[in-house]
Amino acid sequence: MDLAIQLDRVTKRYRAGRSRTVVDLIGSTLDRARGRAQDVHSTTRGRVDADIWALRDVSLDVPEAAGVGVIGRNGAGKTTLLKLISRVTWPTHGCVRVAGRVVSLIELGAGFHPELTGRENVYLGGGLFGLTRRDIDRSFDRIVEFADVARLIDTPMKRYSSGLYARLGFSVAIHANPDIVLVDEVLAVGDAAFRRRALEALRNLIADGKTVLFISHDMWNVRRLCDQILWMEEGRVRAYGPAGEIAERYMSEVNLQALANQGTALQSHRGGTGEIRYTRVEIVDADGHPSVALVPGDTLVVRAAYRAERPVARPVFQVAIVDVDTGLVITTATSRPNDVPDAVREMGMIECRFPRMPLRPRQYVLRMSITDTHQLASYDLVSAGPRFAVSGRGSGVEGLADEEDGLVSLPFEFAHHTGDVPAVHRV
Amino acid sequence: MPSDGLHKPLIDHADPIPPGAYWELLMNLTKREVKGRYSQSFFGVAWAIAQPLATMAVFTLVFARLAKMDSNGAPYPLFAFAALVPWFFFMNSVSSGTLSLITYRNIVTKTYFPREIIPLAQVCSRFIDFFAAAGLYALLMVAYGASLGLWGLMAPLFFLLLILFTVGLTFATSAMNVFYRDVNPVVQIALQLWLYLTPVAYPLAIVPERFRLLFVLNPLSAIVEGFRAAVVFNRAPDWPITAVATTIILAVFVAACVMFKRMDKYFADVI
Repeated sequence: MDLAIQLDRVTKRYRAGRSRTVVDLIGSTLDRARGRAQDVHSTTRGRVDADIWALRDVSLDVPEAAGVGVIGRNGAGKTTLLKLISRVTWPTHGCVRVAGRVVSLIELGAGFHPELTGRENVYLGGGLFGLTRRDIDRSFDRIVEFADVARLIDTPMKRYSSGLYARLGFSVAIHANPDIVLVDEVLAVGDAAFRRRALEALRNLIADGKTVLFISHDMWNVRRLCDQILWMEEGRVRAYGPAGEIAERYMSEVNLQALANQGTALQSHRGGTGEIRYTRVEIVDADGHPSVALVPGDTLVVRAAYRAERPVARPVFQVAIVDVDTGLVITTATSRPNDVPDAVREMGMIECRFPRMPLRPRQYVLRMSITDTHQLASYDLVSAGPRFAVSGRGSGVEGLADEEDGLVSLPFEFAHHTGDVPAVHRV
Repeated sequence: MPSDGLHKPLIDHADPIPPGAYWELLMNLTKREVKGRYSQSFFGVAWAIAQPLATMAVFTLVFARLAKMDSNGAPYPLFAFAALVPWFFFMNSVSSGTLSLITYRNIVTKTYFPREIIPLAQVCSRFIDFFAAAGLYALLMVAYGASLGLWGLMAPLFFLLLILFTVGLTFATSAMNVFYRDVNPVVQIALQLWLYLTPVAYPLAIVPERFRLLFVLNPLSAIVEGFRAAVVFNRAPDWPITAVATTIILAVFVAACVMFKRMDKYFADVI
């Protein structure tokens, strides 16, 4: 298998603290002249500047035509890794080897100038990616078409929206005939339609034998694009392997750590008029034990205590499950007559039970509200309630990777018919 | 171990970009610089000639009228302008070039490309100013009834020396300024003083012998005197001084290129 990227024991050190000044230079020159230690940042000189080890002894082989998702917390070394591969910066120790042309998307349209028109910036940006005028002439129409900016192409880019700016930047980059594309969290700028097309374009690049390194906190996009995941932690490779396996380990560890630390307070993001409010919301399992980590097929119970300032007639309690990355999954409400009494007063509690929860491994947040009977006025709105994560395969059958995709598990059956297809099913 | 002819080898250094792309990038950054400077101003590029023109007017008043400066028989405005045009090319290039890598930190920290293109584009963007002012000089010559002679053909040679010196110095100051921001104020002050230590407002001939070495070691002396010899006096340049200046300029240029290339790997880390 041919390699696209190879890191051989790469270490990258940044100097932290204040920048060096000429005074430091003079100091270090004097030290050198006197034959003393040359580090101007040594503590003995009273200039404490800790070094930051952005990468420590990282070795990595990325094969050609791979889609590699790079995940990890902030400060784990993800962006440094991309900068080293794109030669923006160089390793302190070790060696970075790359096969072919690298295009890095650390910031979309970073080279554009607002006073220049879109057309001029396409040539400027293309030049930054190593393209000649003739190269750009050839792909100009495709660049404009992909970015969908034909109407504004001769307008100075300062008149562009930030989404449009990003679109044109992305379009120039992927049309720069790269062998390796590095993407750093840049798809967050555009709208959903552009994100889809961008992901599709990146997928096509992989299918064409190009290598894509994709940094994202959005596990959904990572799983859609990448067959391998590189998990970085404190400047080291924590894990590198098949996307499904690493994603699962990452989800169950990092996300649940974060979930365990969440407070039970419901202060932030409150809306509504306040006649009746939730006082406590908790997620428990079938046995009533608090739980924020679930496996598909578990029973999920949402318990919410409320307090009414004055008696309220026929309130409707709503519990919605929102996917952290993609949005609303399901809403429920106390709609049947027996769900709640005709009037609620003072304190009480509702319980919403999801038996055999069909949610797939992702991270979710509860959105809770209390409204009037007609669901027009809201008394209370908790837009970011408790979070929970679903991970693991649950009791389901060992499936293909794609079976893990999507938001919910539905029972399904396939049938297969041979011979002539009945006319009604023809398309 | 390539399995097919298409596979590119792993390399541990930056892949050099093709000359066509290099040129394209240089031209585009130059354009970006020029457009950024002059767009949305009413007079546009006309501002490029205002600077030497206004300075010439003041010099004419102060040096020619008040101090009765000897301009070797040539009209003083022509005498001063022929030196001010190369001088401002040098000064403006070095002045904005010193800050250029910092100004473009956004692309330096985010994409790879040959970093020297940035200071180089600063110098290139001053070509417009130079040629606009040179055009004005031609008009002045007509106005004063002067004409170009055969020695005028030496002007491109001095322009080449001017470019080499300007580029070399800009490489050095821009790279150093990335690491030590104190470099910029020092450069700006030095440029102010340098004008008066260069025979721009006065001829080299009036410099007393004991200061002469200082002027000979300043390559700009030979350059502005060379321009004057070519387009004002139509005579041969002062060859010994020109030879010294050429040696110094080539040494500065080579040293600056080597230094720049050795430092540019660290730009993104400290900028």
